[in-house]
Amino acid sequence: MTKTNVVGQSVIGPDALEKVRGGKGFPVNVNLPGMLHAKLLRSPYAHARVLNIDTSEAEKLSGVKAVLVPGDVPQIKFCPVYFVPTMAPSMIQDMLVMSETVRYAGQPVAAVAATSPEIAEQALQLIDVDYEELEAVFDTDSAMQNGAPRLHEEAENNIAKNPVFEFGDLEAGFADADHIFEGTYKTQRAHTCYMEPRVCVVDSDVDGRLTVHSSMQHMFGLREKLAFVLDLPESMVNVIKPPYIGGGFGGKLDLGYIEPVAALLSLKTEKPVRIEQTRYEDFITTTRNPIEVYLKTGIKSDGTFTARYARSTLDCGAHATHGAEVIMVHGMFGILLPYRCVNQTWEGRTVYTNNMIGGGYRGYGSPQGAFAIESQIDEICEELGLDPIEFRLKNAHKEGDPHPFNPEFTLSTYRFEDCLRQAAARIDWGQRTPAGSATGTIKRGIGFGCQALWVSGCMGFPDIYEHSGAIIKLNPDGTANLSNATVDMGSGQNVTLCQIAAEELGLQADQVRMTYADTETVPFDAPSHASRVTYSAGTAVKAAAANVKKRLLEVAGVMLETTVDDLKVQDGHVCHQGSDRKLSIAEVVKRAESPFVQMTAEGPQPTTIGEKGTIIGVASMAPPSNPSPSSVEFVEIEVDTETGVVKVLKVVFAHDIGKVINPSAAQGQVEGGFQQGMGYALMENILFDDETGACLTADFLDYKMPTAVEMPPVIDSIFIESDEPTGPFGAKSLSEPCCTVPAPAIANAIYNAVGVRVRELPITPEKILAGLGKL
Amino acid sequence: MKKSVSFEVNGQHQELAVAPSETLLQVLRDQLRLVGAKRGCDSGGCGCCTVHVDGKAVYSCMTFARSLQNCKVTTIEGLTKKDELDPLQTAFVEQGAVQCGYCTCGMIMSAKEFLSKHEQPDEDQIRHAIAGNLCRCTGYHKIVRAIKIAGQTTDLAGE
Repeated sequence: MTKTNVVGQSVIGPDALEKVRGGKGFPVNVNLPGMLHAKLLRSPYAHARVLNIDTSEAEKLSGVKAVLVPGDVPQIKFCPVYFVPTMAPSMIQDMLVMSETVRYAGQPVAAVAATSPEIAEQALQLIDVDYEELEAVFDTDSAMQNGAPRLHEEAENNIAKNPVFEFGDLEAGFADADHIFEGTYKTQRAHTCYMEPRVCVVDSDVDGRLTVHSSMQHMFGLREKLAFVLDLPESMVNVIKPPYIGGGFGGKLDLGYIEPVAALLSLKTEKPVRIEQTRYEDFITTTRNPIEVYLKTGIKSDGTFTARYARSTLDCGAHATHGAEVIMVHGMFGILLPYRCVNQTWEGRTVYTNNMIGGGYRGYGSPQGAFAIESQIDEICEELGLDPIEFRLKNAHKEGDPHPFNPEFTLSTYRFEDCLRQAAARIDWGQRTPAGSATGTIKRGIGFGCQALWVSGCMGFPDIYEHSGAIIKLNPDGTANLSNATVDMGSGQNVTLCQIAAEELGLQADQVRMTYADTETVPFDAPSHASRVTYSAGTAVKAAAANVKKRLLEVAGVMLETTVDDLKVQDGHVCHQGSDRKLSIAEVVKRAESPFVQMTAEGPQPTTIGEKGTIIGVASMAPPSNPSPSSVEFVEIEVDTETGVVKVLKVVFAHDIGKVINPSAAQGQVEGGFQQGMGYALMENILFDDETGACLTADFLDYKMPTAVEMPPVIDSIFIESDEPTGPFGAKSLSEPCCTVPAPAIANAIYNAVGVRVRELPITPEKILAGLGKL
Repeated sequence: MKKSVSFEVNGQHQELAVAPSETLLQVLRDQLRLVGAKRGCDSGGCGCCTVHVDGKAVYSCMTFARSLQNCKVTTIEGLTKKDELDPLQTAFVEQGAVQCGYCTCGMIMSAKEFLSKHEQPDEDQIRHAIAGNLCRCTGYHKIVRAIKIAGQTTDLAGE
């Protein structure tokens, strides 16, 4: 492991100090002179055609400045997902910014800009819409039937996408099996519950150039998509980087309705226009896609997989959007690749319904897969009397293997076994009692789940953007500014990327500051998603810092009359190796930025042309690989057999994430990931009215997520450090697997406690009592 | 129809024209430009908007501004005295209890009222005290620890 000074420390950044005093940098606080406020009128029907819209009364209301209806909006079909090109052939271009065809309850059909949000809201009530209500379909089975209402002309039986992956010989594999297991595993809709609503302010210049502020996860994606739907060149849209946003978790990974609507209203009124979604609007804007997985597994008596067949049916709602890619990641990283099996076939179906549109959410298809895979492995081990740890290791990949996703890459670092064994020891796995053997009304159980294979970004995915950039500039006081285009949504990258730059430049962490950026001034970056920022953006930051260092040494070389090869940076200085001569970085920068006669404490000092110029480094590059982290989680829970309530008592996580850049930030990811995973496992579910499709859980009083009270008192995070050769200072990735594994771990622990296997999330008290035969 | 209401915010007298439906959160954010209290749900479900009215933690999104005649309101901006952070603010920073930070100000204001009434609370008490404040990033662990540490250094007289 490379010796480091700043990397590996729990550095606290300036953001935290700002946030405890009010946090003025959130996009929700952007307030421009003359700003108007807009609201969207949303359809009460899940499937309807707009026959007529009368806005005349709304327009008469004092304070209303502009009204927008579908006829005012360019009818350009697009895919809103930020991380792919808008017209990517793997995706489905089926969205319009405002359409006369309504496909889910809550779809916008008009918008109003006014001098206050209250007036805009009042004006919405004055808009008269004639709808022709159409037959709606709310579940995937019905939607695929012949004769079901067809939501999109191009999609026969409402199947938007139908990918199939085949490896080996499935039939031979099943013929070779000693045992065959089958099961169907279902997951629900869950909301990311970012705390800051989706919000934007769009301003327009006299020549039609747009300036955009938004709470989103991808500046360049927003620029590309917004320009596309408005039929503008990308250079006419400038997206300002927010200093930080109030959470995202994948929920702000696509162009919403609000940015294009605000842009059109701004162009119409020549004023800045702000739209802030209500919590109800947020709840119907994005969700983890529900997936039903049928899983059939062939197995040798010794626990080796011989064949696996899976069929996954994803409800993408009214438009495909993320559902076209979630199904692929789910198939690959959720089902097929985490363990070795030669003979496998997987079929995916992304199905249109009149439900809300799906979205990105931490894990992106893997939580739905891991729930099926990790639950069934425990069922197999229980039935055959096999050890679930040894079973997984028997079928696991090994360090040094070719990467199963892309054999051009190698699993250079892969410590899955260490994760399993160390976490098992920490929770005292050996003391586990047989399933259902606990006595008393409150029964304890232990279980675990794994995410054996995951990504550090999207290198190797054919259609997904994966490159990063950074600009680093030294200041005459010896500090540095870093600017790049990855948005910090709370995962702490504003600090960790500064640590990487500081380490390379021999500075202290607080001497590098993350600074302003917009899409006109910094290199492209893919989104803050796919656990990619530390690895991928970190690689570019390190390269930019290396370019800064090269120029720094050149100038210092002239000043010290020596060659660059004899110089190195250390503790804020450029040091001559072989003598005690050294210059502070500040001295070197001052020289580079000085006029030709530099005024110094020792008097006027002549300088040379070769020393002149701002010391600045730029990088824009793709990362060299896509190393896999591993995640293992054990939980101890108790089940009250009278009420069915599950309480998580203790959690032990082990992760191989390469070198840990910032241990406190890494722990924070794991602890927060558990909270979201536990909510998914036990309580969270976006529900809709069966008849109308209206959302029934549109605020935090009805949508239950864990509070501090439900959280276990102990979350123990073990980091198995490896030195990933392709990562910045050995780093890989972390933030998604810790959110994927809690659901199967908890499901397996519940089985261990009470002998009830629940194959449908969330595992509510009702399902447990039903399993116990009490309901 | 707007009506004048006079009250104190962070020690400063304010006299503002307020509509009947206007909430304290709207007054703070839109009229006084104090943006520490955040709108997370506007329905009393998340706690991001928590401030103090006469020393008691309230959801400012559920408090009508008209009800504040002669009240004393304290927001996160009023917690820092002469650039010196409140022990809770320091503990949140030092313990890594701030991630996205959107819930942070409300969380600190809830904890502040709680610590003013409970000496050296245990973790279970703290968890119940902040059950009305949602956080989606941290899993609450570092938040609970920060409040516990601040509770060990705060004397009950402090507000």
